Amino acid sequence: MILGFLPVDSFNVIVLAAVFVLVATGLHFTFGMLNVVNLVHGELILIGAYTTLQVQKTTGNVLLGMALAPLLAGVVGLAMERGVLRFLYERPLDSLLATFGLALIIRQVVQFIFSPNPQTVRSPIGGSFLLGGFNIPWWRLVIVLVTAGLLVGVIQFLKRSRFGLQARATVANPVLAETMGINSGAVRAGLFALGSAIAGLAGAMLAPISTLNPQFGLLFLVNSFLVVIIGGKGSLRGLVVAGVVLGGTLAALQFVMSTVLAQILILAIAIVGVRVRPLLGIVREAQTKTTPAASTSASAR
Amino acid sequence: MLEVEDLSAGYGQTTVLRGISFTVAPGEVACVMGRNGAGKTTLLRALMGVLPKTGAVRLSGTDISQRPGHRINAAGMVWVPQEASVFPGLTVRDHLVIALQRRREEEDGIAEAGALFPALGERLGQEAQTLSGGERKMLALAQALIVKPKVVLMDEPTEGVAPVVVEQLIPAIGAATESAVVLVEQNIDTALALAGNAYILEQGSIVVSGTVRDLYDRGIIEQRLAL
Repeated sequence: MILGFLPVDSFNVIVLAAVFVLVATGLHFTFGMLNVVNLVHGELILIGAYTTLQVQKTTGNVLLGMALAPLLAGVVGLAMERGVLRFLYERPLDSLLATFGLALIIRQVVQFIFSPNPQTVRSPIGGSFLLGGFNIPWWRLVIVLVTAGLLVGVIQFLKRSRFGLQARATVANPVLAETMGINSGAVRAGLFALGSAIAGLAGAMLAPISTLNPQFGLLFLVNSFLVVIIGGKGSLRGLVVAGVVLGGTLAALQFVMSTVLAQILILAIAIVGVRVRPLLGIVREAQTKTTPAASTSASAR
Repeated sequence: MLEVEDLSAGYGQTTVLRGISFTVAPGEVACVMGRNGAGKTTLLRALMGVLPKTGAVRLSGTDISQRPGHRINAAGMVWVPQEASVFPGLTVRDHLVIALQRRREEEDGIAEAGALFPALGERLGQEAQTLSGGERKMLALAQALIVKPKVVLMDEPTEGVAPVVVEQLIPAIGAATESAVVLVEQNIDTALALAGNAYILEQGSIVVSGTVRDLYDRGIIEQRLAL
């Protein structure tokens, strides 16, 4: 019986793994690289989803909404970083509280504007195709492909671009980077805006396969943190491994047990994963040993 | 020309440096000496914008005392920290590219670093954190010198380095004839080889100044530093 729906079920495993990676990639920048315990990440996903919804309502063009979603989320992220979070990089508890408060504000604003009622975004590419005699929805395939493309783009951007080089230097040792001529404040702002924009993109991509309400972003917050932490903060390779393992496992478990029980098992796997991850050696922390200079507070700029 | 006037700096509520004043002309090497805890490294960190400070720091007549570190770097002042810190995960080439950003043609600067220290030229693709201590000192020095800075701040560049490496470092420092160099150095031989004037710090203030040779011949350096 299990073998009977293997092709379509296998694809759903891939889709959920891609969703885990997609929602966690933005957090890689804000939490994994910048070390901000970013509890507003879910609301940045929410902004992306509701931007798409609003543009769909206004213009009827879902794809336009999906193009604007990362822009708006990026601008909101940039405003939060410049307005609040840049003063709190060396005060993690304060930044946690600040992002918690910002998340509440955004959620309430969304609820005020759009109401708490469930709403839907239509898929820009409807229909499905046959694979092994089973229907595979086109939009879910698009999510997988966009996630893969996003990962390749992010890796190449961080590795090849001048900003990527400056970002890696700033994350590793902000004081040294600053004295070598890198505007570390601008780099941090850019990283936060980029992470926020990717979160917005994730919200836009996932809106057509979900029902939207103001709690939408919270669905992804915990799993995003799980993926980044288990993958090893600052490691994109680890993020992919953790996302595929956790998302794939959750999808597989949902075939044999309830979603709630599957999520509990995922959390248990995550706890074990955090414990054994260093033993597996599959990932490497980006922020390895830093010198005394690195531990010196870089003032907010 | 670097002019420092009535500079005070410290950590939090603790003032470490008080009323520091000196000038260094292009091509001149000024040596800052003092016992451990006298404030030598604090002086360089304050000049580089890492620590808050009061007083004036003028570079070619422009006051840069309140600028952030990246703008002080852009004005032409570079820092060779004592720890010869590197960025984990970045290659030797990456470090040189960061140092050179928008200053001059990258490949020219990288080639110059290789000529200055051939060991670096052979390791451009190697992660900098895998370099030996001496090679890290070479990299830190190369990063500073290839940008043709107006001022170089060097914090004990030969400390803990094998004599064979010191033999490469000293000529490289000496070749920076167009830069004003502020050198923190405890090794008297290095100071005599490189520096003109010396400033001896005690408890955050300059207590003696003069030429290194004169202070050494009169036994003042030995007396103050308890060599």
